[in-house]
Amino acid sequence: MNVRTTEYLVFDGVTKRFGGLPVVDTPFHLTVPRNQFVVFLGPSGCGKTTLMRMSGGLDTPSSGEIRLEGEPVGKPDQRRGMVFQSYSSFPWLTVSQNVAFGMRYRPDLSKHEKHRRADHYLRLVGLQEFADTYPNRISGGMRQRVAIARTLAAGSEVLLMDEPFGALDAQRREQLQVELRRIQSEESRTVIFVTHDVEEAVFLADRIIMFSRRPARIIEDIDVTAQLGAARTLALRDSETFFRMKTRIIQTVREMEVNT
Amino acid sequence: MKRPLPEAFAFRGSISRRANVLVGLGASFAVLLIWQISSWKGWLDPAFLPSPVEIAQSLWTMVLEGQIVGNALVSIGRILAAFALSAVMAIPIGLLMSSYRPVNAALEPMVDFIRYLPTPALVPISIIWFGVGEETKIFLLWLGTFFQLVLLVVDDANRVPNEYIEIARTLGARPFQILLDIAWRAMLPNLVDNLRITLGWCWTYLIIAEIVASDSGLGFVIWNARRYMQTDRVMAGVFVIGLIGLASDQLIRALHRRVFGYLKSTD
Repeated sequence: MNVRTTEYLVFDGVTKRFGGLPVVDTPFHLTVPRNQFVVFLGPSGCGKTTLMRMSGGLDTPSSGEIRLEGEPVGKPDQRRGMVFQSYSSFPWLTVSQNVAFGMRYRPDLSKHEKHRRADHYLRLVGLQEFADTYPNRISGGMRQRVAIARTLAAGSEVLLMDEPFGALDAQRREQLQVELRRIQSEESRTVIFVTHDVEEAVFLADRIIMFSRRPARIIEDIDVTAQLGAARTLALRDSETFFRMKTRIIQTVREMEVNT
Repeated sequence: MKRPLPEAFAFRGSISRRANVLVGLGASFAVLLIWQISSWKGWLDPAFLPSPVEIAQSLWTMVLEGQIVGNALVSIGRILAAFALSAVMAIPIGLLMSSYRPVNAALEPMVDFIRYLPTPALVPISIIWFGVGEETKIFLLWLGTFFQLVLLVVDDANRVPNEYIEIARTLGARPFQILLDIAWRAMLPNLVDNLRITLGWCWTYLIIAEIVASDSGLGFVIWNARRYMQTDRVMAGVFVIGLIGLASDQLIRALHRRVFGYLKSTD
């Protein structure tokens, strides 16, 4: 029982090569407990995205195995949903149709249940007013909310997020970070969030996995919640503990750059 | 809405829809006027290039004689039939080529080869195969559009963002569901644009087919008038083709704007 809850998502000695190019060379080991918010932090092109994609079944490990609740991860399915930085919602569907699309391949849900859930998640991300609007007519931040709502409505237990706020301006990004944290704790989901932004990582994460340059290797495994607590508000950003942690990580990143 | 002139003339500036139409009509009218004046002044030999007014008069006479409407309908019918055949074949084959690498590997060299053959060069062989009936015309039109269209469909399908496909996969969609629910919907606006452009090419091949082997259609009307050196009638026939092309193009554009209105962004 205990083993099941702590060993929720497991990377067991995973490596990856694309042709002759090693992306993850040193076997990658990581155990993610249920409902943890894990941030993969590292330089662009280091292989962190590939690791996240493999956990979604979108890429296959060259060796090693990824397990979700003891079951090896095969093809992609609703249990692990993706949120991309761009092209994250379908332009030909309205906001509410986009959210409902998440349940299109769920014949187990009744029509009534689908309707209820679409409504619930639309409200959760604060887009009920824009239900009948097309994605091209709302802001980039709202489009990312649509994507989050769609993934939640699909019933994904693990949210895989690939720099989802990378294209947004600073204000919207902060606002969405606060909301994502709130949604994640309200809905109890596990998140793997890929970014190269240190401040974003510290603000969002329960735990930060810091990566080296390619081929990806873990440099540090940081327990953020132990130091900052689980509640994340805008005020936290101005606190000294937050600032110290951010500075320390930025220094580690710099040292790594100098040493390689 | 009235926009100041400097804005319209700024490099890559903006223009209102109304102004756009007015400028288009005005420019066309100006060209016709210069042409007409040149004819009045006697600078143009009417046997070589009749004036717009003469062409309009001939066109009216031809309409009254019953030469235009019926033959135009025959030509349009041939184009629609051949084009529908091309599209109905090209769309599924193109989708398969873009979805499955071996299908693409097998078909692409052949399609590319045939695509570069000049359609008029295949007129003799198509007459040997199909005679001078409707089949030859449909075949030539199909030949001229199908192979181009297949590659355009492949291209449109390949340009569907990978993110859409992967989102669908993580939502549990199977390959044919991804194809119908995602790829097809995502590529449709570009596909309709490509169909519109390809439809225009049909007229070229149709006139060739109607000149070579036909006793009906606008191509026949034009070629018949040429035999008697009735330049005004030749020009009238050409004018009707241009008009039909313009009308169908504008119609499809208007439909495109309406059906794919969701593409329009506010910023």
